Amino acid sequence: MIGARLFNDKNLPLFTLLICIFLSIGLIFSDSNEKVQSFRLSITENFSFLYEPFNWIDNQSFLLKRIEVLSSDNLKLNLENEILSSHKIENNYLREFLNFQNREKFDFVGSDVISRGNSSNLNTILINRGLNSGIKENNPVLSSRGVIGKVITSSKNTSEVQLISDGNFRLSVRIMPSEVEGILRWRSDTVCEIFEVKKTAKINIGDSVVTSNLSTYFPPDLPIGEVISIHDKADSFNKVIRLKLYSDLSKLNQLFVIIEGGSQ
Amino acid sequence: MLFFQYFFISIVLQLLFSELLTINGFQPNIMLLFVILSQMPESNTSKAVLVGFVTGLFCDLVLFSGSYIGLSSLIFSICAFMASRIRYNFVFRNFDSYWIVTLLIGIAVYCLFRYDFLFFSNFFLFLKNFLLISLYSVFVSYILVKVLSLRKIVLNA
Repeated sequence: MIGARLFNDKNLPLFTLLICIFLSIGLIFSDSNEKVQSFRLSITENFSFLYEPFNWIDNQSFLLKRIEVLSSDNLKLNLENEILSSHKIENNYLREFLNFQNREKFDFVGSDVISRGNSSNLNTILINRGLNSGIKENNPVLSSRGVIGKVITSSKNTSEVQLISDGNFRLSVRIMPSEVEGILRWRSDTVCEIFEVKKTAKINIGDSVVTSNLSTYFPPDLPIGEVISIHDKADSFNKVIRLKLYSDLSKLNQLFVIIEGGSQ
Repeated sequence: MLFFQYFFISIVLQLLFSELLTINGFQPNIMLLFVILSQMPESNTSKAVLVGFVTGLFCDLVLFSGSYIGLSSLIFSICAFMASRIRYNFVFRNFDSYWIVTLLIGIAVYCLFRYDFLFFSNFFLFLKNFLLISLYSVFVSYILVKVLSLRKIVLNA
Protein backbone atom coordinates (compact mmCIF):
# COMPACT_ATOMS: atom_id res chain seq x y z
CA MET A 1 0.00 0.00 0.00
CA ILE A 2 2.74 2.41 1.03
CA GLY A 3 4.87 1.24 -1.91
CA ALA A 4 2.02 1.91 -4.31
CA ARG A 5 1.55 5.36 -2.81
CA LEU A 6 5.27 6.09 -3.09
CA PHE A 7 5.37 5.03 -6.75
CA ASN A 8 2.38 7.09 -7.82
CA ASP A 9 2.56 9.41 -10.80
CA LYS A 10 3.69 12.34 -8.69
CA ASN A 11 6.74 10.65 -7.23
CA LEU A 12 7.73 8.43 -10.14
CA PRO A 13 9.91 11.04 -11.94
CA LEU A 14 11.80 11.73 -8.73
CA PHE A 15 12.36 8.02 -8.12
CA THR A 16 13.54 7.55 -11.69
CA LEU A 17 15.95 10.43 -11.24
CA LEU A 18 17.26 9.02 -7.96
CA ILE A 19 17.77 5.56 -9.49
CA CYS A 20 19.61 7.11 -12.45
CA ILE A 21 21.78 9.17 -10.10
CA PHE A 22 22.67 6.10 -8.00
CA LEU A 23 23.43 4.07 -11.13
CA SER A 24 25.61 6.87 -12.51
CA ILE A 25 27.51 7.27 -9.24
CA GLY A 26 27.99 3.50 -9.15
CA LEU A 27 29.43 3.65 -12.67
CA ILE A 28 31.71 6.57 -11.76
CA PHE A 29 33.15 4.62 -8.83
CA SER A 30 33.69 1.53 -10.98
CA ASP A 31 35.53 3.59 -13.61
CA SER A 32 38.94 2.22 -12.65
CA ASN A 33 37.70 -1.38 -12.80
CA GLU A 34 39.67 -3.32 -15.42
CA LYS A 35 36.60 -5.01 -16.90
CA VAL A 36 34.80 -1.68 -17.26
CA GLN A 37 37.87 -0.13 -18.88
CA SER A 38 38.32 -2.95 -21.39
CA PHE A 39 34.57 -2.91 -22.19
CA ARG A 40 34.76 0.82 -22.80
CA LEU A 41 37.86 0.49 -24.93
CA SER A 42 36.29 -2.22 -27.10
CA ILE A 43 33.18 -0.02 -27.62
CA THR A 44 35.36 2.99 -28.50
CA GLU A 45 37.38 0.83 -30.89
CA ASN A 46 34.21 -0.29 -32.67
CA PHE A 47 33.01 3.29 -33.01
CA SER A 48 36.42 4.72 -33.98
CA PHE A 49 35.19 5.09 -37.59
CA LEU A 50 33.22 8.13 -36.38
CA TYR A 51 36.42 10.09 -35.77
CA GLU A 52 38.18 9.20 -39.00
CA PRO A 53 36.68 11.90 -41.30
CA PHE A 54 37.43 14.62 -38.75
CA ASN A 55 40.99 13.42 -38.24
CA TRP A 56 41.48 13.35 -41.99
CA ILE A 57 40.26 16.97 -42.33
CA ASP A 58 42.47 17.99 -39.41
CA ASN A 59 45.52 16.34 -40.95
CA GLN A 60 44.90 17.89 -44.37
CA SER A 61 44.35 21.40 -43.07
CA PHE A 62 47.65 21.45 -41.19
CA LEU A 63 49.68 19.45 -43.70
CA LEU A 64 51.32 22.31 -45.61
CA LYS A 65 52.15 24.23 -42.47
CA ARG A 66 53.54 21.09 -40.89
CA ILE A 67 55.76 20.32 -43.90
CA GLU A 68 57.20 23.82 -43.67
CA VAL A 69 57.94 23.48 -39.95
CA LEU A 70 59.38 19.99 -40.39
CA SER A 71 61.67 21.13 -43.21
CA SER A 72 63.16 23.88 -41.07
CA ASP A 73 63.41 21.50 -38.06
CA ASN A 74 65.10 18.94 -40.28
CA LEU A 75 67.76 21.40 -41.36
CA LYS A 76 68.47 22.43 -37.76
CA LEU A 77 68.62 18.80 -36.63
CA ASN A 78 70.97 17.84 -39.44
CA LEU A 79 73.41 20.52 -38.34
CA GLU A 80 73.06 19.49 -34.69
CA ASN A 81 73.45 15.86 -35.62
CA GLU A 82 76.84 16.50 -37.16
CA ILE A 83 78.11 18.01 -33.92
CA LEU A 84 76.46 15.37 -31.74
CA SER A 85 77.91 12.49 -33.78
CA SER A 86 81.44 13.55 -32.91
CA HIS A 87 80.38 14.05 -29.24
CA LYS A 88 78.84 10.57 -29.19
CA ILE A 89 82.07 8.93 -30.29
CA GLU A 90 83.96 10.88 -27.64
CA ASN A 91 81.33 10.06 -24.97
CA ASN A 92 81.33 6.34 -25.81
CA TYR A 93 85.10 6.27 -25.57
CA LEU A 94 85.06 8.03 -22.17
CA ARG A 95 82.26 5.81 -20.77
CA GLU A 96 84.19 2.75 -21.83
CA PHE A 97 87.34 4.19 -20.31
CA LEU A 98 85.59 4.86 -16.97
CA ASN A 99 83.85 1.47 -17.05
CA PHE A 100 80.26 2.86 -17.06
CA GLN A 101 77.34 0.52 -17.72
CA ASN A 102 75.83 0.81 -21.20
CA ARG A 103 72.57 2.74 -21.43
CA GLU A 104 69.55 0.75 -22.45
CA LYS A 105 68.07 1.52 -25.83
CA PHE A 106 64.40 1.81 -26.53
CA ASP A 107 62.16 1.49 -29.56
CA PHE A 108 59.45 3.84 -30.71
CA VAL A 109 56.11 2.90 -32.18
CA GLY A 110 54.52 5.65 -34.25
CA SER A 111 50.77 6.13 -33.93
CA ASP A 112 47.97 8.45 -35.01
CA VAL A 113 45.53 10.04 -32.60
CA ILE A 114 42.03 8.69 -33.22
CA SER A 115 40.16 10.69 -30.63
CA ARG A 116 41.15 13.55 -28.40
CA GLY A 117 38.86 12.74 -25.50
CA ASN A 118 35.74 14.41 -26.80
CA SER A 119 34.61 16.19 -23.70
CA SER A 120 35.40 19.12 -21.51
CA ASN A 121 37.54 16.60 -19.67
CA LEU A 122 40.50 16.61 -22.02
CA ASN A 123 42.72 14.30 -20.04
CA THR A 124 43.05 11.22 -22.23
CA ILE A 125 43.36 10.53 -25.94
CA LEU A 126 42.97 7.42 -28.04
CA ILE A 127 45.70 6.21 -30.41
CA ASN A 128 45.51 3.62 -33.16
CA ARG A 129 48.16 1.22 -31.84
CA GLY A 130 47.74 -1.40 -29.17
CA LEU A 131 48.86 -4.77 -27.91
CA ASN A 132 49.50 -5.98 -31.47
CA SER A 133 52.24 -3.34 -31.81
CA GLY A 134 53.81 -4.25 -28.48
CA ILE A 135 52.26 -1.39 -26.54
CA LYS A 136 51.59 -2.10 -22.88
CA GLU A 137 50.21 -0.27 -19.90
CA ASN A 138 52.45 2.54 -18.53
CA ASN A 139 54.51 2.90 -21.73
CA PRO A 140 55.67 6.53 -22.11
CA VAL A 141 54.14 8.54 -24.96
CA LEU A 142 55.91 11.39 -26.75
CA SER A 143 55.12 13.89 -29.46
CA SER A 144 57.89 15.01 -31.80
CA ARG A 145 58.78 17.66 -29.20
CA GLY A 146 58.65 15.81 -25.91
CA VAL A 147 56.76 13.81 -23.30
CA ILE A 148 52.96 14.12 -23.39
CA GLY A 149 51.75 11.23 -21.23
CA LYS A 150 51.60 7.48 -20.74
CA VAL A 151 49.48 4.54 -21.85
CA ILE A 152 46.82 3.57 -19.32
CA THR A 153 44.92 0.85 -21.15
CA SER A 154 45.49 -1.10 -24.35
CA SER A 155 43.33 -3.26 -26.53
CA LYS A 156 44.45 -5.11 -29.67
CA ASN A 157 44.55 -2.09 -31.96
CA THR A 158 44.01 0.95 -29.75
CA SER A 159 45.42 2.42 -26.57
CA GLU A 160 44.21 5.09 -24.21
CA VAL A 161 46.84 7.67 -23.28
CA GLN A 162 46.67 9.67 -20.07
CA LEU A 163 47.89 13.15 -20.91
CA ILE A 164 50.28 15.17 -18.82
CA SER A 165 47.36 17.62 -18.44
CA ASP A 166 45.40 15.09 -16.40
CA GLY A 167 44.98 16.24 -12.82
CA ASN A 168 46.23 12.91 -11.49
CA PHE A 169 49.36 12.71 -13.65
CA ARG A 170 52.66 12.97 -11.77
CA LEU A 171 56.16 12.59 -13.19
CA SER A 172 59.59 12.58 -11.63
CA VAL A 173 61.67 15.19 -13.49
CA ARG A 174 65.14 16.71 -13.51
CA ILE A 175 66.01 20.32 -14.23
CA MET A 176 69.13 20.76 -16.32
CA PRO A 177 71.91 21.78 -16.00
CA SER A 178 71.58 21.96 -12.17
CA GLU A 179 70.31 18.33 -12.08
CA VAL A 180 67.76 19.18 -9.39
CA GLU A 181 64.89 16.72 -9.18
CA GLY A 182 61.24 17.27 -8.43
CA ILE A 183 57.70 16.09 -9.08
CA LEU A 184 55.82 17.50 -12.07
CA ARG A 185 52.11 18.27 -12.05
CA TRP A 186 49.95 20.02 -14.63
CA ARG A 187 48.69 23.54 -13.89
CA SER A 188 46.92 25.01 -16.94
CA ASP A 189 47.13 24.98 -20.76
CA THR A 190 50.74 24.01 -21.50
CA VAL A 191 52.06 25.13 -18.13
CA CYS A 192 53.11 22.62 -15.45
CA GLU A 193 54.58 22.99 -11.98
CA ILE A 194 57.45 21.16 -10.32
CA PHE A 195 57.17 20.58 -6.58
CA GLU A 196 59.59 19.26 -3.95
CA VAL A 197 62.45 21.46 -5.20
CA LYS A 198 64.67 22.79 -2.42
CA LYS A 199 64.99 26.56 -2.04
CA THR A 200 68.77 26.33 -2.21
CA ALA A 201 68.69 24.80 -5.71
CA LYS A 202 70.13 27.05 -8.41
CA ILE A 203 67.60 27.22 -11.20
CA ASN A 204 67.31 29.79 -13.95
CA ILE A 205 64.55 30.73 -16.33
CA GLY A 206 65.11 28.92 -19.60
CA ASP A 207 66.59 25.79 -18.00
CA SER A 208 65.37 22.62 -19.66
CA VAL A 209 63.34 19.97 -17.85
CA VAL A 210 63.79 16.28 -18.66
CA THR A 211 62.61 13.00 -17.16
CA SER A 212 64.71 11.88 -14.21
CA ASN A 213 66.21 8.45 -13.72
CA LEU A 214 63.99 7.95 -10.65
CA SER A 215 60.89 7.36 -12.75
CA THR A 216 59.60 3.79 -12.80
CA TYR A 217 58.21 3.89 -16.31
CA PHE A 218 59.94 6.79 -18.07
CA PRO A 219 63.52 6.44 -19.29
CA PRO A 220 65.79 9.33 -18.25
CA ASP A 221 66.51 12.46 -20.28
CA LEU A 222 63.33 12.64 -22.34
CA PRO A 223 62.57 16.32 -23.03
CA ILE A 224 59.52 17.83 -21.31
CA GLY A 225 59.73 21.62 -21.31
CA GLU A 226 61.59 24.70 -20.15
CA VAL A 227 61.44 26.75 -16.96
CA ILE A 228 59.42 29.97 -17.28
CA SER A 229 59.17 31.13 -13.66
CA ILE A 230 60.38 30.33 -10.15
CA HIS A 231 58.23 30.88 -7.04
CA ASP A 232 59.52 30.85 -3.48
CA LYS A 233 57.02 29.73 -0.88
CA ALA A 234 57.30 31.71 2.35
CA ASP A 235 55.92 28.90 4.51
CA SER A 236 58.01 26.08 3.07
CA PHE A 237 61.57 24.88 2.53
CA ASN A 238 60.72 24.18 -1.09
CA LYS A 239 60.07 26.34 -4.10
CA VAL A 240 57.74 25.83 -7.03
CA ILE A 241 59.10 25.88 -10.56
CA ARG A 242 56.75 26.61 -13.42
CA LEU A 243 57.56 25.27 -16.88
CA LYS A 244 56.13 25.46 -20.35
CA LEU A 245 55.76 22.13 -22.13
CA TYR A 246 57.52 21.74 -25.46
CA SER A 247 54.45 19.92 -26.85
CA ASP A 248 51.21 21.70 -27.59
CA LEU A 249 48.61 19.36 -26.10
CA SER A 250 45.79 20.82 -28.14
CA LYS A 251 47.50 19.91 -31.43
CA LEU A 252 48.41 16.26 -31.09
CA ASN A 253 48.22 14.16 -34.24
CA GLN A 254 51.18 11.81 -34.51
CA LEU A 255 52.63 10.32 -31.34
CA PHE A 256 55.39 7.89 -30.43
CA VAL A 257 55.17 5.22 -27.78
CA ILE A 258 58.35 3.92 -26.16
CA ILE A 259 57.91 0.17 -25.95
CA GLU A 260 61.11 -0.66 -24.10
CA GLY A 261 61.58 1.68 -21.13
CA GLY A 262 65.08 2.46 -19.98
CA SER A 263 64.67 2.11 -16.23
CA GLN A 264 61.79 -0.28 -15.64
CA MET B 1 12.05 10.59 -35.85
CA LEU B 2 12.87 14.23 -35.15
CA PHE B 3 14.69 13.12 -31.99
CA PHE B 4 17.02 10.76 -33.88
CA GLN B 5 17.55 13.31 -36.64
CA TYR B 6 18.78 15.91 -34.14
CA PHE B 7 20.64 13.24 -32.15
CA PHE B 8 22.68 12.45 -35.26
CA ILE B 9 23.28 16.16 -35.97
CA SER B 10 24.43 16.64 -32.37
CA ILE B 11 26.92 13.77 -32.62
CA VAL B 12 28.38 15.23 -35.82
CA LEU B 13 28.60 18.70 -34.25
CA GLN B 14 30.13 17.33 -31.06
CA LEU B 15 32.79 15.49 -33.05
CA LEU B 16 33.39 18.55 -35.20
CA PHE B 17 33.96 20.79 -32.20
CA SER B 18 35.99 18.32 -30.20
CA GLU B 19 38.23 17.22 -33.07
CA LEU B 20 38.67 20.48 -34.96
CA LEU B 21 37.47 23.45 -32.91
CA THR B 22 38.92 22.84 -29.47
CA ILE B 23 40.28 26.05 -27.98
CA ASN B 24 42.95 25.53 -25.32
CA GLY B 25 41.45 22.15 -24.48
CA PHE B 26 37.99 23.66 -23.97
CA GLN B 27 35.08 22.24 -25.95
CA PRO B 28 31.38 23.06 -25.97
CA ASN B 29 29.11 20.23 -24.82
CA ILE B 30 26.68 19.96 -27.72
CA MET B 31 25.23 16.66 -26.47
CA LEU B 32 24.18 18.33 -23.23
CA LEU B 33 22.44 21.08 -25.20
CA PHE B 34 20.69 18.38 -27.26
CA VAL B 35 19.42 16.59 -24.14
CA ILE B 36 18.16 19.83 -22.57
CA LEU B 37 16.36 21.05 -25.67
CA SER B 38 14.97 17.67 -26.71
CA GLN B 39 13.50 17.02 -23.26
CA MET B 40 11.90 20.44 -22.79
CA PRO B 41 8.69 19.45 -24.64
CA GLU B 42 8.62 16.00 -22.97
CA SER B 43 5.70 15.88 -20.52
CA ASN B 44 6.69 12.49 -19.10
CA THR B 45 9.57 13.40 -16.78
CA SER B 46 10.50 9.77 -16.04
CA LYS B 47 10.93 9.11 -19.73
CA ALA B 48 12.99 12.31 -20.08
CA VAL B 49 15.30 11.22 -17.24
CA LEU B 50 15.78 7.79 -18.81
CA VAL B 51 16.50 9.35 -22.21
CA GLY B 52 19.07 11.61 -20.53
CA PHE B 53 20.64 8.67 -18.73
CA VAL B 54 20.92 6.49 -21.86
CA THR B 55 22.20 9.37 -24.00
CA GLY B 56 24.78 10.14 -21.32
CA LEU B 57 25.92 6.54 -21.17
CA PHE B 58 26.25 6.45 -24.95
CA CYS B 59 28.35 9.64 -24.82
CA ASP B 60 30.58 8.27 -22.05
CA LEU B 61 31.23 5.06 -23.95
CA VAL B 62 31.54 6.39 -27.49
CA LEU B 63 32.19 10.12 -27.54
CA PHE B 64 33.65 11.28 -24.23
CA SER B 65 36.59 8.93 -23.96
CA GLY B 66 38.35 11.21 -21.50
CA SER B 67 35.74 11.36 -18.77
CA TYR B 68 34.48 8.99 -16.11
CA ILE B 69 31.89 6.44 -17.21
CA GLY B 70 28.64 7.55 -15.65
CA LEU B 71 29.50 11.24 -15.38
CA SER B 72 27.57 12.27 -18.47
CA SER B 73 24.66 10.00 -17.56
CA LEU B 74 24.53 11.67 -14.14
CA ILE B 75 24.59 15.18 -15.59
CA PHE B 76 22.27 14.43 -18.51
CA SER B 77 19.72 12.77 -16.18
CA ILE B 78 19.65 15.81 -13.89
CA CYS B 79 19.48 18.28 -16.79
CA ALA B 80 16.77 16.23 -18.55
CA PHE B 81 14.78 16.20 -15.31
CA MET B 82 15.09 19.98 -15.00
CA ALA B 83 14.26 20.53 -18.67
CA SER B 84 11.22 18.29 -18.58
CA ARG B 85 9.70 19.87 -15.43
CA ILE B 86 9.35 23.25 -17.07
CA ARG B 87 5.90 24.56 -18.04
CA TYR B 88 5.03 25.71 -21.55
CA ASN B 89 4.25 29.32 -20.60
CA PHE B 90 7.55 29.67 -18.81
CA VAL B 91 9.47 28.26 -21.76
CA PHE B 92 7.64 30.59 -24.08
CA ARG B 93 8.75 33.63 -22.11
CA ASN B 94 12.19 32.53 -20.87
CA PHE B 95 13.38 30.00 -23.41
CA ASP B 96 16.95 31.25 -23.78
CA SER B 97 17.60 31.98 -20.12
CA TYR B 98 16.23 28.56 -19.07
CA TRP B 99 18.40 26.43 -21.35
CA ILE B 100 21.43 28.60 -20.58
CA VAL B 101 20.96 28.16 -16.81
CA THR B 102 20.43 24.38 -17.19
CA LEU B 103 23.49 24.12 -19.44
CA LEU B 104 25.58 26.06 -16.91
CA ILE B 105 24.50 23.73 -14.09
CA GLY B 106 25.57 20.75 -16.20
CA ILE B 107 28.93 22.35 -17.02
CA ALA B 108 29.48 23.22 -13.36
CA VAL B 109 29.11 19.53 -12.39
CA TYR B 110 31.44 18.55 -15.24
CA CYS B 111 34.05 21.02 -14.01
CA LEU B 112 33.72 19.76 -10.42
CA PHE B 113 34.84 16.32 -11.60
CA ARG B 114 37.34 17.54 -14.19
CA TYR B 115 39.06 20.14 -12.02
CA ASP B 116 38.41 18.63 -8.58
CA PHE B 117 42.08 19.07 -7.62
CA LEU B 118 41.94 22.78 -8.51
CA PHE B 119 38.69 23.28 -6.59
CA PHE B 120 40.54 22.63 -3.33
CA SER B 121 44.03 23.89 -4.17
CA ASN B 122 43.43 26.91 -6.41
CA PHE B 123 39.82 28.01 -6.50
CA PHE B 124 40.43 31.00 -8.77
CA LEU B 125 42.00 28.80 -11.45
CA PHE B 126 39.04 26.45 -11.12
CA LEU B 127 36.70 29.40 -11.56
CA LYS B 128 38.66 30.63 -14.57
CA ASN B 129 38.42 27.23 -16.27
CA PHE B 130 34.72 26.98 -15.46
CA LEU B 131 34.06 30.46 -16.86
CA LEU B 132 36.01 29.79 -20.06
CA ILE B 133 34.26 26.48 -20.74
CA SER B 134 30.89 28.04 -19.92
CA LEU B 135 31.48 31.05 -22.15
CA TYR B 136 32.57 28.91 -25.09
CA SER B 137 29.71 26.44 -24.62
CA VAL B 138 27.04 29.12 -24.26
CA PHE B 139 28.42 31.10 -27.20
CA VAL B 140 28.43 28.08 -29.54
CA SER B 141 25.07 26.82 -28.23
CA TYR B 142 23.45 30.24 -28.66
CA ILE B 143 24.58 30.41 -32.28
CA LEU B 144 23.28 26.88 -32.92
CA VAL B 145 19.92 27.67 -31.30
CA LYS B 146 19.53 30.75 -33.49
CA VAL B 147 20.86 29.27 -36.74
CA LEU B 148 18.84 26.05 -36.49
CA SER B 149 15.75 27.91 -35.15
CA LEU B 150 15.58 25.48 -32.25
CA ARG B 151 13.25 27.67 -30.18
CA LYS B 152 10.51 27.28 -32.77
CA ILE B 153 11.08 23.53 -33.03
CA VAL B 154 11.02 23.04 -29.25
CA LEU B 155 7.89 25.15 -28.76
CA ASN B 156 6.04 23.41 -31.59
CA ALA B 157 7.00 19.90 -30.51
